Amino acid sequence: MANIQGAGTQQNTYDAIVIGSGISGGWAAKELAEKGLKTLVLERGRDVKHGDYPTAMKESWEFEGRTKIPAAELAKQEKQNRTGYTTHPASAHWFVNDLENPYTEEKRFDWMRGYHVGGRSLLWGRQSYRFSELDFEANAKEGIAVDWPIRYADIAPWYDYVERFAGISGSRENLAHLPDGQFLPPMEMNCLEKDVKRRIADAFGGRPMIIGRVANLTKEHNGRGSCQYRNRCIRGCPYGAYFSSNVSTLPAGYASGNLTLRPFSIVNQIIYDKSKGRATGVRIIDAETNEVIEYHAKVIFSCASAVASTFILLNSKSDRFPNGLGNDSGELGHNLMDHHFKVGAAGISDGFTDKYFRGQRANGIYIPRFRNLNKETKQKDYLRGFGYQGGASRLDWASHIKELSHFGAKFKADLIAPGPWRFGIGSWGECLPYHDNRMTLNTAVRDKWGQPTVTFNCGWKENEYAMRKDMKASAVEMLEAAGLKNVTPFDDVINSAPGNCIHEMGTARMGRDPKTSVLNKWNQVHTSPNVFVTDGACMTSNSCVNPSLTYMALTARACDHAVSELKKGNL
Amino acid sequence: MSRREAIKRAAMLIGVAFSPSLVESALQAQTAAGGAGAAKPVYLSAKQFEAVSAIADRILPRTDTPGALDVGVPAFADHMYGKFLSAADQKVVVAGLADLETASGAAHGRGFAALTSAQQDALLTKVAEASKAKERTFFHQIKELVVLGYFSSEKIGKTVLHYDPVPGRFDGCIPIAEVGNVAWTK
Repeated sequence: MANIQGAGTQQNTYDAIVIGSGISGGWAAKELAEKGLKTLVLERGRDVKHGDYPTAMKESWEFEGRTKIPAAELAKQEKQNRTGYTTHPASAHWFVNDLENPYTEEKRFDWMRGYHVGGRSLLWGRQSYRFSELDFEANAKEGIAVDWPIRYADIAPWYDYVERFAGISGSRENLAHLPDGQFLPPMEMNCLEKDVKRRIADAFGGRPMIIGRVANLTKEHNGRGSCQYRNRCIRGCPYGAYFSSNVSTLPAGYASGNLTLRPFSIVNQIIYDKSKGRATGVRIIDAETNEVIEYHAKVIFSCASAVASTFILLNSKSDRFPNGLGNDSGELGHNLMDHHFKVGAAGISDGFTDKYFRGQRANGIYIPRFRNLNKETKQKDYLRGFGYQGGASRLDWASHIKELSHFGAKFKADLIAPGPWRFGIGSWGECLPYHDNRMTLNTAVRDKWGQPTVTFNCGWKENEYAMRKDMKASAVEMLEAAGLKNVTPFDDVINSAPGNCIHEMGTARMGRDPKTSVLNKWNQVHTSPNVFVTDGACMTSNSCVNPSLTYMALTARACDHAVSELKKGNL
Repeated sequence: MSRREAIKRAAMLIGVAFSPSLVESALQAQTAAGGAGAAKPVYLSAKQFEAVSAIADRILPRTDTPGALDVGVPAFADHMYGKFLSAADQKVVVAGLADLETASGAAHGRGFAALTSAQQDALLTKVAEASKAKERTFFHQIKELVVLGYFSSEKIGKTVLHYDPVPGRFDGCIPIAEVGNVAWTK
């Protein structure tokens, strides 16, 4: 980085600024740069180039503690450890140090963060589903929160567009509530999964169980290699076989010649010029030198993640916006959502003992929502619905590690051989947008750069708890109908705290009315239209499907609108 | 599957044609590398380490495949104890080992490591039974370290389990005979 901090206003001026380099930021960077805008991406963490994945090719014996990290290290990631998988030695370096990045929990909130180029696009679960008309209409039909300002038809071509670039493998199923997309060939189910699929369809009037739709390539695509079936995606993929900013959108942005990326750049606030009636740029803190620098642009895309984008808006106080940029409605920071999960069931099969699988599939099965789709499936106890993710495998030594009863020669032989087949499903449920589920600025607790921090006050309510009962009971019902043995339900509601699913959404919702929402139908701040927010913050409701594909589509759509408006002289 | 079969198969997987004599020397090297006597504890006392070694040997004894002592499990457990466990877990392990020695002395007048295999198994069974319905007891922790240390070791991963680090494909349903009824290395 050539002495950029010493540069004058002119050198610090771009056509567009993108805050964040994760799934949404990467897309904004690609789209804006490819459309000819000189674009600056500001990333608060370190740079990670495609291939900078230090653990990607390591075997278990090459980690000092094998699957463990030392207690002293774990103490620095107490919150990041709450998922149960993030702080594995293969991936702990992708998650923040909680002691250096504090936040406050009036109620438990598990805020998982990766501060590096690519953000959580390197770490995501890669499940990629479209929202449907059912999702976009739900708030209006039920009188919940506010109406989405868009419908499925508005976003459908943008799903097509991002799927074609990202590469999503999946099967076409012709379900109105889980629309098909532009798919690469689907992955294969294993023996037990095929059997369970058939039995569930037989027992429940054709209820579908499908292979997961996943951003892993089942064949070479746009210069990236196909999945090698190692199932070590969270470490970063040297083959570029799953979608991340690092291997997909950022290289495309660089290829345009219009993209500049500045790591270690913490955006402290968006600068609003009252006399011009518009945002003029951003103020950053260099994470390493603590220098404060301003950058200017015609349009600003905030893609820092739901909580971080809203933090920036809340912290962008001015005479015009004393409660945060674009917060005339008072809704900024409210309507925080996540999916609730960690509820389902598992069972053992006594069949297929002479069958096995080859390869570690980085994907599972999906049972799409089947509740509250129409009058016939209407539930009296709760609104909305849930889907299941899961799969079958054969038990192995790792699944017996806590088993106490056995030891000795037979125990060892049993663990060397593949164990019985096991099929398990967990449910991902929609959470309603509640005004009082919120994040606020905490000026009493400051981070190491002197910035305010975030306080969370967010919890599940009656609708989610009622839904969970069905999520558990329906799982048991399906697994028993599928002929599985020892079907055991689980419901770890404690560890399904908001945030734990890492699908945080809301806090700067889209809406039709500036009095009750922060963003318009193009993801523009109603009252500062050259500021766009296209990450999870924009979501008006959260469906029950994984949201990242929707952030991609909304971002590409908003970029198209921004460039079109710039050309018309409207921004 | 025998250890010999495993080594042959591993050789085939990496595309190297091993002669029978090479297989034999690999087996001998394995045996020579094993044995608790080869390692000294860094964090545990000599007496504690003897007991840990004896426990590891009873949980995963040498059969036609290597045992815990053949792949350095006691040294792994010592390292994990000293550098990875929390202070609370360390206390649980130390207390558990002390209790085991007390029980061993009371029943047989000897330390745990000096008991016969049958006596060790009987004592460990009692400890395991007493640990049921509890969490993170001494036996949970020691057994986890032994099983983890064994199955995540290079020797077991490459020569006993089915090692295929870059499968390149996924087949959902194959006859198990194709992989010799052996689990994949994780």
